[in-house]
Amino acid sequence: MSGDLDTGAEITWCTGCGNFGILAAVKKAVKKLEENGIQREDIVISTGIGCHGKIFDYLDLSGIYSLHGREVASAEGIKLGNPDLKIIAFGGDGDCYGEGLAHLLFAAKRNIDITVIVHNNGAYALTTGQASPTSPKGFKGPATPMGSVEPPIEPIGLLLSAGASFVARGYAGKVKHMSDLIVQAVEHPGFAHIDVVQPSVVFTDYYEEYNDLVDELEDTRSTKFEAMELARESDRLPIGVFYREERPTYNEELLGERNPVKDRLSDEKRLKEIRSFLDV
Amino acid sequence: MVSKDDVRAMDEELFTVIIGGQAGQGVKKAGEAVSKFFLEKGRYVFEMDDYQSLIRGGHNFASVSSSTEELFSHHMRADVVVNLDKTSYEMHKKNLTPDGLNFYNSDEIENGEGIGLPLTSMSKEFQRPQLIMGVTGIAVLAAVVGENKDSLVSLVNSVYPRGKEDNTAFSKLVYDEVLDKVGSTLDLKEGDCRNRMFPGNHVIALGAASAGLDIYFAYPMTPASSILHFYASHGDKLGVTAVHPESEIAVANMAIGATIAGARSMVGTSGGGFALMAEAFSLAGMVESPVLFVLSSRPGPATGVPTYTEQGDLGFALHQGHGDFPRIVASPGYMEEAFYLTADMLSLLWKYQTPGIILTEKHLSESSMCMDVDPSKVRTVDPRMHEEDTGYKRYLFTEDGVSPLTFPPSKEAIKWNGEEHDEYGLTTSRSEEVAAMHDKRYMKEKAILEELKDRHTVNVYGSGENVIFTYGSTTLSVREALRCSGIEAKVVQPIYLRPLPTWELKKHVEGRSIVVEQSVAQQFSTLLEDKIGLEPTSVIKRYDGRPFDPMDLAGKIKEAIR
Ligand SMILES: Cc1ncc(C[n+]2csc(CCOP(=O)(O)OP(=O)(O)O)c2C)c(N)n1
Ligand code: SF4
Ligand SMILES: [Mg+2]
Repeated sequence: MSGDLDTGAEITWCTGCGNFGILAAVKKAVKKLEENGIQREDIVISTGIGCHGKIFDYLDLSGIYSLHGREVASAEGIKLGNPDLKIIAFGGDGDCYGEGLAHLLFAAKRNIDITVIVHNNGAYALTTGQASPTSPKGFKGPATPMGSVEPPIEPIGLLLSAGASFVARGYAGKVKHMSDLIVQAVEHPGFAHIDVVQPSVVFTDYYEEYNDLVDELEDTRSTKFEAMELARESDRLPIGVFYREERPTYNEELLGERNPVKDRLSDEKRLKEIRSFLDV
Repeated sequence: MVSKDDVRAMDEELFTVIIGGQAGQGVKKAGEAVSKFFLEKGRYVFEMDDYQSLIRGGHNFASVSSSTEELFSHHMRADVVVNLDKTSYEMHKKNLTPDGLNFYNSDEIENGEGIGLPLTSMSKEFQRPQLIMGVTGIAVLAAVVGENKDSLVSLVNSVYPRGKEDNTAFSKLVYDEVLDKVGSTLDLKEGDCRNRMFPGNHVIALGAASAGLDIYFAYPMTPASSILHFYASHGDKLGVTAVHPESEIAVANMAIGATIAGARSMVGTSGGGFALMAEAFSLAGMVESPVLFVLSSRPGPATGVPTYTEQGDLGFALHQGHGDFPRIVASPGYMEEAFYLTADMLSLLWKYQTPGIILTEKHLSESSMCMDVDPSKVRTVDPRMHEEDTGYKRYLFTEDGVSPLTFPPSKEAIKWNGEEHDEYGLTTSRSEEVAAMHDKRYMKEKAILEELKDRHTVNVYGSGENVIFTYGSTTLSVREALRCSGIEAKVVQPIYLRPLPTWELKKHVEGRSIVVEQSVAQQFSTLLEDKIGLEPTSVIKRYDGRPFDPMDLAGKIKEAIR
């Protein structure tokens, strides 16, 4: 793995794209995590399909470039295979809040110990800017030339209802802040979600508005209800950790102390157990 | 048409019991008790449970056949039929052998044919009259074959640990009533079978466990669900974790994820769930993830007939997933094969890093049969691993297309990529790289083919000018039809369906050929036509959700070769 986490792949995001901010924040976070004692090789990533997914090629970390909407399921599988690993799934708003929403909500519900980062640019960018689940009503794209007739979903409230034990919002224009969020999310023992407001310079170039609206939270809300209220505020863009709690993780509840790939039965033991099933 | 009576089982020792009743009357348990009774007599047993997709009411039955010789199927002509309700009585009158005994509930049916037992009034004094009804089956059987009461009681105790007292008491009542009415008129020889019997799904589960399965992912769907239930209750001991996530899409993608961590993963489902896994199956082909998919078929299309059997998913299994990539599809023809083949497939897939399918049907998944396997005979092959400290490329070009594996934590990044990629696993759309990676994966297909050429890929039973081609659980029906009817024919069953062992199959394209399968569109026959130019003289098919009755099938085969 290269020191700077680069792979040498040519970066094909548009100049000024919010994804650059996310890439920078992840790299920073990995370095910080290393300082905190988490080995780089223990971090494994999965990505969905969309402009966001390209981050797979730009990070010299192990993982899988999964399917559109399936990066959370992939991440859960890796975690269940080897629960000692730290998994970060990168999704898009179309990908993770649309195509693969069920996986996201269930991962939150079962509190599996993974981190999900959604590059929320309010559009299906890679497929030329159609309206996404978070696009506002009236959003114009090639599939809604007269403006979208659907209202958007609000991801933070959705995740809190589903049971996410760590929910945060970041902003692609605040790299340092976002990288702190990522560090906290990865270190959080349980399901952690970061919705990153990520302007697309082509389809949703709202940098100026967001720069004005963005407001760093001082502390987390103590109830889910307050956190949900906060997420709905429209006169400012609060960023930071909205809510966190600790509860048992799915991987611990399911596996206990066992690590499927490290604590295999010996051949002898397995054979003995199978024999005992087969024998009268 | 050959009438059923033209073909009578030549096996003198064949003894079949059918028990029918409503869901909730313990019909399945009754079948289990009868099976156990036969087993304790050293007889070979085959049990088929016919049940509907409902929890109470409807009509269910169990057909349990046994013999002193090895047998391969249940029969639908019974020596003893026990009808717990009226529907059953009406349905199973036709299932008696000429000297068969028909028992019915005389409180529900007046002056029926056969022997009436006042089951409703006899069970009234018990707390749960419906629940203990099922024990009638074993009590009747014990009485008519002259088993003593003590053995009956101990059998009932072991099969019905819950509600022991009531079940025992009721079974004694029935036993006395039967002795009183007909006495012990039937003869049952003891055999020397020492095997235990298992439902196919447990055999598949044990096979995978013996090859080192780490995690089983599944979303409930009949007839595959009992694999999930098996691992959920016994996985702890076998070192297998059972995971039931939100959907089949999650199942397949999680399983791929688990392989990235180095875990041997398997999933199981039926047609509908397998359809939802299509995209992930293709992903497994692309990222080169060795997930084993168990597809247990029921009649389709769509939700179809959930609790019955069919072979309408052959084409689907062969072509699952978009795009070109290698896969192995294999289908077991009997229980022992289900065990070894599942184990073998897991190793084979890890050797070639590609997805594969165990294609089976409800008839094998949920029927139980005597089985004798030796888990120490399971050959496990370790996957090719990256041994050096540097230079790791997930998709390294090699002579056979198989790239060495390594798992996290790893100093060097391991990039599994579902988009087309270069050797490192970074995304590419460059023409030469796209073609080269296609070639690499295709080389694995060739390597698999070569490997299969050195393996046992086709089962051949019997001999004769007439050749019967079949596969999967239908093989059981065909073998039993031949065993019992004395018809001379050669049965040819490919174990692998993709790659299809054409080199072996072609050796048997001669004389008169018959294809037997359970698909209205005769998918298997079409496959053989396409791949080996077979022009079958006749295709015998059944597609009403029921497995063939061996004697019925024997009649059809006789007609076809006449
Ligand atoms: C199953 C499937 N459906 C559709 C697509 C086509 N597709 C690729 S990216 C994308 C939308 C991407 O939107 P989003 O997830 O928001 O990512 P962004 O490009 O905005 O980062 C779609 C529909 C696909 N790859 N797979
Ligand atoms: S289209 Fe938008 S999201 Fe995609 S790279 Fe360009 S700016 Fe970024
Ligand atoms: Mg988007």
